[in-house]
Amino acid sequence: MFRSTSGTRRVTLVLLALLLSALLVLPTQSQRLLQHIGVPLAPIVTLPIEALASLDRSLREVWEGYVALHGVHEENLRLRREVELLHQQNSRLREAASASQRLTALLEFKGRAASQTIVAQVVGREATNWYRAVMVNKGDGDGVRVEMGVITPAGVVGRVVKTTRSASMVLLITDPNNAITGLVQRTRDEGIVEGTVQGLARMKYLPLLSTVRAGDRVVTSGLTGGFPRGLPIGVITSIEKMEGDLFQSAEIVPDADLGRLEEVLIITAPRGEAESETGLLPAQSPQQRNP
Amino acid sequence: MKQVIYLTLVFGLVPIQTTVLAHASVGGIRPDLCLVAAILVGFFAGELDGLLLGLALGFVQDLSSAGELWLNLMTKGSVGFLAGVAGRYAANATTIAALAAILGLSLLSGTVFLLTVGPRGLGDASFAVRAVLLPQAMWDAVLGAGMYWLLAKRFRREQEILEGSTGLGSLMR
Repeated sequence: MFRSTSGTRRVTLVLLALLLSALLVLPTQSQRLLQHIGVPLAPIVTLPIEALASLDRSLREVWEGYVALHGVHEENLRLRREVELLHQQNSRLREAASASQRLTALLEFKGRAASQTIVAQVVGREATNWYRAVMVNKGDGDGVRVEMGVITPAGVVGRVVKTTRSASMVLLITDPNNAITGLVQRTRDEGIVEGTVQGLARMKYLPLLSTVRAGDRVVTSGLTGGFPRGLPIGVITSIEKMEGDLFQSAEIVPDADLGRLEEVLIITAPRGEAESETGLLPAQSPQQRNP
Repeated sequence: MKQVIYLTLVFGLVPIQTTVLAHASVGGIRPDLCLVAAILVGFFAGELDGLLLGLALGFVQDLSSAGELWLNLMTKGSVGFLAGVAGRYAANATTIAALAAILGLSLLSGTVFLLTVGPRGLGDASFAVRAVLLPQAMWDAVLGAGMYWLLAKRFRREQEILEGSTGLGSLMR
Protein backbone atom coordinates (compact mmCIF):
# COMPACT_ATOMS: atom_id res chain seq x y z
CA MET A 1 0.00 0.00 0.00
CA PHE A 2 2.74 2.41 0.92
CA ARG A 3 5.61 1.79 -1.42
CA SER A 4 7.67 3.17 -4.20
CA THR A 5 9.63 1.55 -7.01
CA SER A 6 13.21 2.77 -7.05
CA GLY A 7 15.81 1.99 -9.73
CA THR A 8 17.43 -0.79 -7.69
CA ARG A 9 14.08 -2.43 -7.07
CA ARG A 10 13.31 -2.30 -10.78
CA VAL A 11 16.64 -3.95 -11.66
CA THR A 12 16.07 -6.64 -8.99
CA LEU A 13 12.60 -7.26 -10.35
CA VAL A 14 13.88 -7.65 -13.90
CA LEU A 15 16.63 -10.04 -12.74
CA LEU A 16 14.14 -12.13 -10.79
CA ALA A 17 11.76 -12.17 -13.75
CA LEU A 18 14.65 -13.47 -15.88
CA LEU A 19 15.34 -16.14 -13.24
CA LEU A 20 11.72 -17.25 -13.36
CA SER A 21 11.85 -17.46 -17.14
CA ALA A 22 15.04 -19.53 -16.93
CA LEU A 23 13.31 -21.92 -14.53
CA LEU A 24 10.48 -22.31 -16.99
CA VAL A 25 12.70 -22.80 -20.02
CA LEU A 26 15.30 -25.10 -18.39
CA PRO A 27 13.41 -27.15 -15.79
CA THR A 28 15.90 -30.06 -15.66
CA GLN A 29 18.99 -27.91 -15.19
CA SER A 30 17.28 -25.71 -12.62
CA GLN A 31 16.06 -28.85 -10.78
CA ARG A 32 19.70 -29.88 -10.21
CA LEU A 33 20.70 -26.42 -9.03
CA LEU A 34 17.73 -26.18 -6.69
CA GLN A 35 18.53 -29.61 -5.28
CA HIS A 36 22.00 -28.35 -4.29
CA ILE A 37 20.55 -25.24 -2.68
CA GLY A 38 17.97 -27.36 -0.84
CA VAL A 39 20.49 -29.65 0.89
CA PRO A 40 21.41 -27.27 3.76
CA LEU A 41 17.87 -25.87 3.97
CA ALA A 42 16.04 -29.16 4.31
CA PRO A 43 16.85 -29.85 8.01
CA ILE A 44 15.62 -26.37 8.96
CA VAL A 45 12.29 -27.21 7.34
CA THR A 46 12.11 -30.79 8.61
CA LEU A 47 12.68 -29.92 12.29
CA PRO A 48 9.56 -27.78 12.76
CA ILE A 49 7.56 -30.29 10.73
CA GLU A 50 8.60 -33.12 13.07
CA ALA A 51 7.90 -30.97 16.13
CA LEU A 52 4.45 -30.02 14.85
CA ALA A 53 3.69 -33.61 13.84
CA SER A 54 4.61 -34.81 17.33
CA LEU A 55 2.44 -32.10 18.93
CA ASP A 56 -0.41 -32.97 16.59
CA ARG A 57 -0.10 -36.67 17.50
CA SER A 58 -0.13 -35.92 21.24
CA LEU A 59 -3.19 -33.69 20.90
CA ARG A 60 -4.97 -36.36 18.85
CA GLU A 61 -4.21 -38.97 21.51
CA VAL A 62 -5.62 -36.71 24.22
CA TRP A 63 -8.68 -36.07 22.09
CA GLU A 64 -9.25 -39.73 21.31
CA GLY A 65 -8.53 -40.81 24.91
CA TYR A 66 -10.51 -38.31 26.91
CA VAL A 67 -12.64 -35.98 24.88
CA ALA A 68 -14.11 -38.04 22.09
CA LEU A 69 -15.82 -40.58 24.36
CA HIS A 70 -19.33 -40.06 23.00
CA GLY A 71 -20.99 -43.28 22.06
CA VAL A 72 -18.47 -45.48 23.88
CA HIS A 73 -21.25 -47.54 25.49
CA GLU A 74 -22.85 -48.35 22.13
CA GLU A 75 -19.46 -49.12 20.67
CA ASN A 76 -18.71 -51.39 23.62
CA LEU A 77 -21.88 -53.43 23.03
CA ARG A 78 -21.11 -53.69 19.35
CA LEU A 79 -17.57 -54.80 20.06
CA ARG A 80 -18.76 -57.47 22.52
CA ARG A 81 -20.95 -58.96 19.81
CA GLU A 82 -18.03 -58.82 17.40
CA VAL A 83 -15.76 -60.58 19.94
CA GLU A 84 -18.23 -63.48 20.25
CA LEU A 85 -18.32 -63.81 16.50
CA LEU A 86 -14.55 -63.63 16.24
CA HIS A 87 -14.16 -66.36 18.90
CA GLN A 88 -16.09 -68.74 16.68
CA GLN A 89 -14.10 -67.73 13.62
CA ASN A 90 -10.86 -68.05 15.54
CA SER A 91 -11.36 -71.70 16.39
CA ARG A 92 -12.12 -72.50 12.75
CA LEU A 93 -9.07 -70.55 11.59
CA ARG A 94 -6.78 -72.34 14.07
CA GLU A 95 -7.59 -75.58 12.32
CA ALA A 96 -6.95 -74.01 8.93
CA ALA A 97 -3.71 -72.41 10.12
CA SER A 98 -2.23 -75.66 11.37
CA ALA A 99 -2.96 -77.28 8.00
CA SER A 100 -1.48 -74.28 6.24
CA GLN A 101 1.71 -74.43 8.33
CA ARG A 102 2.28 -78.04 7.42
CA LEU A 103 1.76 -77.36 3.73
CA THR A 104 3.99 -74.27 3.83
CA ALA A 105 6.85 -76.23 5.36
CA LEU A 106 6.42 -78.84 2.68
CA LEU A 107 6.45 -76.37 -0.18
CA GLU A 108 9.29 -74.26 1.10
CA PHE A 109 12.00 -76.27 -0.59
CA LYS A 110 14.09 -73.25 -1.33
CA GLY A 111 15.36 -70.42 0.84
CA ARG A 112 12.98 -67.51 0.97
CA ALA A 113 13.76 -64.27 -0.73
CA ALA A 114 13.75 -61.56 1.89
CA SER A 115 13.92 -57.79 1.85
CA GLN A 116 16.04 -55.41 3.82
CA THR A 117 13.91 -52.63 5.24
CA ILE A 118 14.12 -49.65 7.54
CA VAL A 119 11.32 -48.25 9.64
CA ALA A 120 10.27 -44.65 9.07
CA GLN A 121 7.67 -42.48 10.67
CA VAL A 122 5.24 -40.39 8.63
CA VAL A 123 5.77 -36.80 9.79
CA GLY A 124 3.84 -34.82 7.23
CA ARG A 125 1.57 -34.81 4.22
CA GLU A 126 2.19 -33.40 0.76
CA ALA A 127 2.42 -29.60 0.87
CA THR A 128 0.05 -29.07 -2.08
CA ASN A 129 -3.28 -30.60 -3.05
CA TRP A 130 -1.95 -31.80 -6.38
CA TYR A 131 0.00 -34.91 -5.38
CA ARG A 132 -0.79 -37.77 -3.04
CA ALA A 133 2.38 -38.10 -1.03
CA VAL A 134 3.65 -38.27 2.53
CA MET A 135 6.85 -37.12 4.16
CA VAL A 136 8.82 -39.64 6.24
CA ASN A 137 11.57 -38.94 8.74
CA LYS A 138 14.30 -40.97 7.01
CA GLY A 139 16.41 -39.51 4.23
CA ASP A 140 19.54 -40.23 2.23
CA GLY A 141 21.55 -39.95 5.43
CA ASP A 142 19.79 -43.14 6.56
CA GLY A 143 20.37 -44.92 3.25
CA VAL A 144 17.08 -44.04 1.60
CA ARG A 145 17.28 -43.51 -2.15
CA VAL A 146 14.86 -42.38 -4.84
CA GLU A 147 12.77 -45.23 -6.35
CA MET A 148 12.88 -47.37 -3.20
CA GLY A 149 9.60 -49.11 -2.41
CA VAL A 150 7.59 -48.26 0.70
CA ILE A 151 5.19 -50.66 2.41
CA THR A 152 3.25 -51.35 5.59
CA PRO A 153 2.42 -54.83 6.89
CA ALA A 154 -0.93 -54.44 5.11
CA GLY A 155 0.54 -53.79 1.68
CA VAL A 156 2.31 -51.49 -0.76
CA VAL A 157 2.24 -47.77 0.07
CA GLY A 158 4.25 -46.17 -2.74
CA ARG A 159 7.78 -45.26 -3.69
CA VAL A 160 10.34 -42.66 -2.69
CA VAL A 161 10.49 -39.78 -5.17
CA LYS A 162 12.56 -37.17 -3.37
CA THR A 163 15.11 -37.33 -0.57
CA THR A 164 16.94 -34.86 1.63
CA ARG A 165 19.48 -35.65 4.34
CA SER A 166 16.85 -36.38 6.99
CA ALA A 167 13.53 -36.79 5.20
CA SER A 168 11.97 -38.27 2.08
CA MET A 169 8.82 -37.78 0.06
CA VAL A 170 6.87 -40.95 -0.71
CA LEU A 171 4.49 -40.83 -3.67
CA LEU A 172 1.48 -43.01 -2.84
CA ILE A 173 0.22 -45.72 -5.20
CA THR A 174 -3.03 -43.76 -5.57
CA ASP A 175 -1.22 -40.84 -7.22
CA PRO A 176 -1.69 -40.76 -11.01
CA ASN A 177 2.07 -40.17 -11.45
CA ASN A 178 2.92 -43.46 -9.78
CA ALA A 179 3.22 -46.73 -11.66
CA ILE A 180 4.37 -50.16 -10.45
CA THR A 181 4.08 -53.57 -12.03
CA GLY A 182 1.43 -55.81 -10.55
CA LEU A 183 0.31 -59.40 -10.87
CA VAL A 184 -3.21 -60.80 -10.45
CA GLN A 185 -2.71 -63.64 -7.97
CA ARG A 186 -5.38 -65.97 -9.34
CA THR A 187 -4.84 -65.59 -13.08
CA ARG A 188 -1.10 -64.67 -13.03
CA ASP A 189 -1.76 -61.81 -15.46
CA GLU A 190 0.66 -58.92 -15.24
CA GLY A 191 -0.14 -55.26 -15.67
CA ILE A 192 0.79 -51.76 -14.59
CA VAL A 193 -0.80 -50.40 -11.43
CA GLU A 194 -1.30 -46.63 -11.60
CA GLY A 195 -3.06 -44.17 -9.35
CA THR A 196 -6.22 -42.40 -10.48
CA VAL A 197 -7.32 -38.80 -9.95
CA GLN A 198 -10.17 -40.14 -7.83
CA GLY A 199 -7.67 -41.49 -5.29
CA LEU A 200 -7.87 -45.18 -6.16
CA ALA A 201 -5.56 -47.38 -8.20
CA ARG A 202 -6.07 -48.91 -11.63
CA MET A 203 -4.38 -51.93 -13.17
CA LYS A 204 -3.83 -51.38 -16.86
CA TYR A 205 -2.76 -53.51 -19.83
CA LEU A 206 -4.46 -56.71 -18.70
CA PRO A 207 -4.88 -59.10 -21.66
CA LEU A 208 -8.35 -59.09 -23.22
CA LEU A 209 -8.66 -62.84 -22.77
CA SER A 210 -7.82 -62.69 -19.07
CA THR A 211 -10.51 -64.08 -16.76
CA VAL A 212 -9.74 -61.49 -14.09
CA ARG A 213 -12.78 -60.53 -11.99
CA ALA A 214 -13.84 -58.37 -9.04
CA GLY A 215 -12.45 -59.74 -5.77
CA ASP A 216 -9.15 -60.93 -7.27
CA ARG A 217 -6.07 -59.91 -5.30
CA VAL A 218 -3.21 -57.99 -6.93
CA VAL A 219 0.39 -58.31 -5.72
CA THR A 220 3.70 -56.85 -6.85
CA SER A 221 5.29 -58.73 -9.73
CA GLY A 222 8.87 -57.92 -8.71
CA LEU A 223 9.72 -56.51 -12.12
CA THR A 224 10.15 -52.93 -10.95
CA GLY A 225 13.19 -52.18 -8.85
CA GLY A 226 11.70 -51.12 -5.56
CA PHE A 227 9.57 -54.12 -4.62
CA PRO A 228 10.13 -57.85 -4.28
CA ARG A 229 7.57 -60.22 -5.81
CA GLY A 230 4.36 -61.00 -3.95
CA LEU A 231 3.66 -57.98 -1.76
CA PRO A 232 -0.07 -57.24 -1.55
CA ILE A 233 -1.22 -54.17 -3.49
CA GLY A 234 -5.00 -54.38 -3.28
CA VAL A 235 -8.25 -56.01 -4.36
CA ILE A 236 -9.94 -55.59 -7.73
CA THR A 237 -13.37 -53.99 -7.42
CA SER A 238 -14.40 -53.61 -11.05
CA ILE A 239 -13.24 -54.41 -14.56
CA GLU A 240 -13.39 -52.03 -17.49
CA LYS A 241 -13.40 -53.46 -20.98
CA MET A 242 -13.90 -50.91 -23.74
CA GLU A 243 -14.96 -52.04 -27.18
CA GLY A 244 -12.09 -51.86 -29.63
CA ASP A 245 -9.44 -51.70 -26.90
CA LEU A 246 -6.52 -54.12 -26.99
CA PHE A 247 -6.43 -54.44 -23.21
CA GLN A 248 -8.76 -54.34 -20.25
CA SER A 249 -8.21 -52.49 -17.01
CA ALA A 250 -9.29 -53.06 -13.42
CA GLU A 251 -10.00 -50.71 -10.54
CA ILE A 252 -8.19 -51.60 -7.34
CA VAL A 253 -8.78 -50.62 -3.71
CA PRO A 254 -5.37 -50.59 -1.99
CA ASP A 255 -4.84 -52.93 0.95
CA ALA A 256 -2.84 -50.38 2.94
CA ASP A 257 -4.91 -47.65 4.60
CA LEU A 258 -3.21 -44.71 2.91
CA GLY A 259 -5.23 -42.13 4.79
CA ARG A 260 -3.96 -43.23 8.19
CA LEU A 261 -0.30 -43.95 7.66
CA GLU A 262 1.88 -43.58 10.76
CA GLU A 263 4.83 -45.94 10.38
CA VAL A 264 6.08 -47.43 7.13
CA LEU A 265 8.87 -49.73 5.98
CA ILE A 266 11.24 -48.55 3.27
CA ILE A 267 12.65 -51.42 1.23
CA THR A 268 16.34 -50.70 0.85
CA ALA A 269 17.22 -54.03 -0.77
CA PRO A 270 14.30 -55.89 -2.37
CA ARG A 271 16.17 -59.13 -2.98
CA GLY A 272 17.49 -59.39 0.60
CA GLU A 273 21.27 -59.22 0.46
CA ALA A 274 21.43 -58.98 4.24
CA GLU A 275 19.16 -59.28 7.21
CA SER A 276 17.17 -56.22 8.08
CA GLU A 277 17.62 -54.24 11.26
CA THR A 278 13.88 -54.39 11.76
CA GLY A 279 13.10 -57.90 10.60
CA LEU A 280 12.61 -59.81 7.42
CA LEU A 281 9.79 -59.42 5.04
CA PRO A 282 9.26 -62.84 3.56
CA ALA A 283 7.98 -63.27 0.05
CA GLN A 284 4.48 -64.68 -0.22
CA SER A 285 4.08 -68.39 0.06
CA PRO A 286 2.80 -70.40 -2.90
CA GLN A 287 -0.54 -70.92 -1.12
CA GLN A 288 -0.93 -67.21 -0.73
CA ARG A 289 -0.25 -66.75 -4.40
CA ASN A 290 -2.66 -69.49 -5.44
CA PRO A 291 -5.50 -69.53 -2.96
CA MET B 1 10.92 -6.41 11.87
CA LYS B 2 9.75 -7.09 8.30
CA GLN B 3 12.59 -9.56 7.77
CA VAL B 4 11.66 -11.44 10.96
CA ILE B 5 8.04 -11.70 9.82
CA TYR B 6 9.11 -12.95 6.39
CA LEU B 7 11.51 -15.52 7.90
CA THR B 8 8.79 -16.74 10.26
CA LEU B 9 6.43 -17.10 7.30
CA VAL B 10 9.02 -18.96 5.21
CA PHE B 11 9.94 -21.50 7.88
CA GLY B 12 6.63 -21.61 9.74
CA LEU B 13 3.94 -21.89 7.08
CA VAL B 14 5.12 -25.06 5.35
CA PRO B 15 5.27 -27.12 8.60
CA ILE B 16 1.72 -25.99 9.38
CA GLN B 17 0.65 -26.77 5.82
CA THR B 18 2.06 -30.33 5.94
CA THR B 19 0.92 -31.29 9.45
CA VAL B 20 -1.93 -29.64 11.36
CA LEU B 21 -3.69 -28.11 8.35
CA ALA B 22 -4.96 -31.58 7.41
CA HIS B 23 -7.57 -31.10 10.16
CA ALA B 24 -8.91 -28.06 8.32
CA SER B 25 -9.35 -29.87 5.03
CA VAL B 26 -12.75 -30.03 3.38
CA GLY B 27 -13.14 -33.07 1.15
CA GLY B 28 -9.40 -33.61 1.44
CA ILE B 29 -8.63 -30.11 0.13
CA ARG B 30 -6.67 -27.62 2.23
CA PRO B 31 -6.06 -23.96 1.53
CA ASP B 32 -2.57 -23.14 0.26
CA LEU B 33 -1.18 -20.96 3.05
CA CYS B 34 1.98 -20.14 1.10
CA LEU B 35 -0.01 -18.92 -1.88
CA VAL B 36 -2.24 -16.76 0.31
CA ALA B 37 0.81 -15.34 2.14
CA ALA B 38 2.62 -14.52 -1.12
CA ILE B 39 -0.48 -12.76 -2.48
CA LEU B 40 -1.09 -10.74 0.70
CA VAL B 41 2.54 -9.66 0.93
CA GLY B 42 2.35 -8.68 -2.75
CA PHE B 43 -0.80 -6.65 -2.10
CA PHE B 44 0.53 -4.79 0.92
CA ALA B 45 4.30 -4.58 0.36
CA GLY B 46 4.67 -4.48 -3.41
CA GLU B 47 5.88 -6.56 -6.34
CA LEU B 48 9.42 -7.13 -5.14
CA ASP B 49 8.46 -8.30 -1.66
CA GLY B 50 5.68 -10.45 -3.11
CA LEU B 51 8.04 -11.98 -5.64
CA LEU B 52 10.89 -12.61 -3.18
CA LEU B 53 8.69 -14.05 -0.46
CA GLY B 54 6.81 -16.10 -3.06
CA LEU B 55 10.08 -17.55 -4.35
CA ALA B 56 11.29 -18.40 -0.84
CA LEU B 57 7.96 -19.90 0.23
CA GLY B 58 7.69 -21.84 -3.01
CA PHE B 59 11.18 -23.25 -2.65
CA VAL B 60 10.58 -24.46 0.90
CA GLN B 61 7.21 -25.86 -0.18
CA ASP B 62 8.89 -27.71 -3.04
CA LEU B 63 11.17 -29.44 -0.53
CA SER B 64 8.03 -30.86 1.13
CA SER B 65 6.25 -31.81 -2.06
CA ALA B 66 6.45 -34.76 -4.43
CA GLY B 67 6.38 -32.44 -7.44
CA GLU B 68 9.22 -30.89 -9.42
CA LEU B 69 11.56 -28.63 -7.44
CA TRP B 70 10.76 -25.52 -9.50
CA LEU B 71 6.99 -25.76 -9.62
CA ASN B 72 5.94 -24.06 -6.37
CA LEU B 73 8.93 -21.73 -6.57
CA MET B 74 7.79 -20.45 -9.93
CA THR B 75 4.06 -20.28 -9.26
CA LYS B 76 4.35 -18.67 -5.81
CA GLY B 77 6.94 -16.17 -7.07
CA SER B 78 4.80 -15.20 -10.07
CA VAL B 79 1.64 -14.95 -8.00
CA GLY B 80 3.39 -12.72 -5.41
CA PHE B 81 4.62 -10.49 -8.22
CA LEU B 82 1.20 -10.28 -9.90
CA ALA B 83 -0.45 -9.52 -6.55
CA GLY B 84 2.03 -6.67 -6.13
CA VAL B 85 1.10 -5.27 -9.55
CA ALA B 86 -2.60 -5.63 -8.74
CA GLY B 87 -2.05 -3.93 -5.38
CA ARG B 88 -0.35 -1.00 -7.09
CA TYR B 89 -3.36 -0.30 -9.28
CA ALA B 90 -5.95 -0.93 -6.57
CA ALA B 91 -4.15 0.32 -3.46
CA ASN B 92 -7.26 0.58 -1.29
CA ALA B 93 -9.21 -2.31 -2.74
CA THR B 94 -12.32 -3.56 -0.96
CA THR B 95 -12.35 -7.01 0.61
CA ILE B 96 -14.60 -8.26 -2.19
CA ALA B 97 -12.09 -7.05 -4.79
CA ALA B 98 -9.29 -8.77 -2.85
CA LEU B 99 -11.36 -11.96 -2.73
CA ALA B 100 -11.83 -11.86 -6.50
CA ALA B 101 -8.12 -11.19 -7.06
CA ILE B 102 -7.04 -14.06 -4.79
CA LEU B 103 -9.55 -16.37 -6.45
CA GLY B 104 -8.16 -15.46 -9.87
CA LEU B 105 -4.52 -15.86 -8.82
CA SER B 106 -5.23 -19.19 -7.13
CA LEU B 107 -7.01 -20.43 -10.27
CA LEU B 108 -4.04 -19.31 -12.35
CA SER B 109 -1.55 -21.09 -10.10
CA GLY B 110 -3.77 -24.20 -10.00
CA THR B 111 -3.96 -24.26 -13.79
CA VAL B 112 -0.14 -24.37 -14.00
CA PHE B 113 -0.19 -27.34 -11.60
CA LEU B 114 -2.95 -29.03 -13.55
CA LEU B 115 -1.00 -28.70 -16.79
CA THR B 116 2.20 -29.96 -15.14
CA VAL B 117 0.54 -32.94 -13.48
CA GLY B 118 -0.89 -33.77 -16.91
CA PRO B 119 -4.23 -35.50 -16.38
CA ARG B 120 -4.94 -38.38 -18.75
CA GLY B 121 -7.92 -37.40 -20.85
CA LEU B 122 -10.73 -34.92 -20.54
CA GLY B 123 -12.52 -36.88 -17.83
CA ASP B 124 -9.52 -36.75 -15.50
CA ALA B 125 -8.94 -33.07 -16.21
CA SER B 126 -12.56 -32.19 -15.50
CA PHE B 127 -12.43 -34.22 -12.26
CA ALA B 128 -9.22 -32.44 -11.18
CA VAL B 129 -10.83 -29.06 -11.87
CA ARG B 130 -13.96 -29.97 -9.85
CA ALA B 131 -12.20 -31.82 -7.03
CA VAL B 132 -8.99 -29.81 -6.56
CA LEU B 133 -8.67 -26.61 -8.59
CA LEU B 134 -12.01 -24.94 -7.78
CA PRO B 135 -12.34 -26.00 -4.11
CA GLN B 136 -8.77 -24.91 -3.37
CA ALA B 137 -9.26 -21.56 -5.13
CA MET B 138 -12.40 -20.95 -3.06
CA TRP B 139 -10.62 -21.92 0.16
CA ASP B 140 -7.69 -19.64 -0.69
CA ALA B 141 -10.01 -16.76 -1.61
CA VAL B 142 -12.06 -16.98 1.59
CA LEU B 143 -9.01 -17.31 3.84
CA GLY B 144 -7.08 -14.64 1.96
CA ALA B 145 -9.99 -12.19 1.93
CA GLY B 146 -10.44 -12.66 5.69
CA MET B 147 -6.76 -11.98 6.29
CA TYR B 148 -6.87 -9.02 3.87
CA TRP B 149 -9.80 -7.50 5.78
CA LEU B 150 -7.94 -7.82 9.10
CA LEU B 151 -4.66 -6.45 7.75
CA ALA B 152 -6.27 -3.61 5.78
CA LYS B 153 -8.19 -2.54 8.92
CA ARG B 154 -4.98 -2.52 10.93
CA PHE B 155 -3.01 -0.59 8.30
CA ARG B 156 -5.80 1.95 7.92
CA ARG B 157 -5.91 2.53 11.68
CA GLU B 158 -2.12 2.95 11.79
CA GLN B 159 -2.32 5.43 8.94
CA GLU B 160 -5.09 7.38 10.68
CA ILE B 161 -3.06 7.56 13.90
CA LEU B 162 -0.02 8.69 11.93
CA GLU B 163 -1.97 11.36 10.05
CA GLY B 164 -3.71 12.47 13.25
CA SER B 165 -0.46 12.91 15.14
CA THR B 166 1.13 14.77 12.22
CA GLY B 167 -1.89 17.10 12.06
CA LEU B 168 -1.72 17.76 15.80
CA GLY B 169 2.01 18.34 15.52
CA SER B 170 1.56 21.00 12.82
CA LEU B 171 -1.12 22.73 14.90
CA MET B 172 1.18 22.76 17.93
CA ARG B 173 3.94 24.36 15.88
